[in-house]
Amino acid sequence: MSLVNYATREITCKIVYYGPGRSGKTTNLHYIYGQVPDDRKGKMVSLATQTDRTLFFDFLPLDLGQISGFTTKFQLYTVPGQVYYQTTRKLVLQGADGVVFVADSQKRQLQENIESLQDLHANLADQGVDARTMPLVIQYNKQDLPAELIHPAADLSDALNFRGVPELSADALHGPGVFETLRAISELVLKRLSAGTPGAAPR
Amino acid sequence: MKIAAVESWVEAPLQRFVDEARARLALLLHPSGQVVAQAGFTRQVDVMTACALAAASHATASELGRAIDGQPFRVLHYAGPEKQLFLASVRTPRGVYICLTVFDDESSLGLVRMYFDDLARELAAVTPTMPVQHGAVLAVDFEADLNRNLAMLFGRGEEIIIRNA
Repeated sequence: MSLVNYATREITCKIVYYGPGRSGKTTNLHYIYGQVPDDRKGKMVSLATQTDRTLFFDFLPLDLGQISGFTTKFQLYTVPGQVYYQTTRKLVLQGADGVVFVADSQKRQLQENIESLQDLHANLADQGVDARTMPLVIQYNKQDLPAELIHPAADLSDALNFRGVPELSADALHGPGVFETLRAISELVLKRLSAGTPGAAPR
Repeated sequence: MKIAAVESWVEAPLQRFVDEARARLALLLHPSGQVVAQAGFTRQVDVMTACALAAASHATASELGRAIDGQPFRVLHYAGPEKQLFLASVRTPRGVYICLTVFDDESSLGLVRMYFDDLARELAAVTPTMPVQHGAVLAVDFEADLNRNLAMLFGRGEEIIIRNA
């Protein structure tokens, strides 16, 4: 639910980066954090294990600036990808305005990608959200790895993108595709606010 | 301390609570981590971070309560060397909200709890019953603003274009 404050003309949106363990969700946020000027971002919070795997979530607040006269802020979250953190994923997904699904392009991870996408749909359904109405962007990460180790984006698209949502190739570690992904999900989320669809809840 | 609220109906009850309980910081938020009102924070981005962490703490305490006691813990208290934190939920006709209160030795846990109970009652009583309106918020041509802002944010001179994989 996007939060709209007409008095101060502010919009706040929650974007969740979802996907299997080690697909690069946290890496996306780290790259964004490293690029954005200090006055446009808050502290990046990572609730992680000793081995740097996400335990609860990563969180990065961003100030996008003025859009149509509204100061627009995004809250970027990641979920823990490991299968056993199911409860945590549900909690973080609560109230999301948009989801970026970060898929791991490595051939050996294809089944994990499929299961994680199914898990996303199941968790949205549990919260009474029709997955078809949730703004979604799919990122095929690690496309920089040697060709023999990864599936081409077109093959991943066949396997994962049955809804035909915006999809992008990325190398989150070095940056290509990271901003484009954020831009794509921003556009989808803000389009709902410009259309006045029920997903947006002005107050 | 002045209240900044997204929803005006929470302003008066929260202002009374902050004044009477002598709170240093106060946050009212949705369980999803979205701020509803705040007092005492100077930077908006810090408010967002505090909301995310407060929502996470509340969710964790609730799940822990269910696991241990069969029902969610409704209140969490942490006593630091100088500041103390009180986290509790408020049930209203619009759903549950979470209140995070930070206080120091100008106040006490007993005082905060007492006035929090008043706050919970007042919020439940003044919650609007009108349904939320779903009107268009942004202009249809918002994309030019979005492109310009993202390009500035990421230090790019040119517009960021979506490429299909």
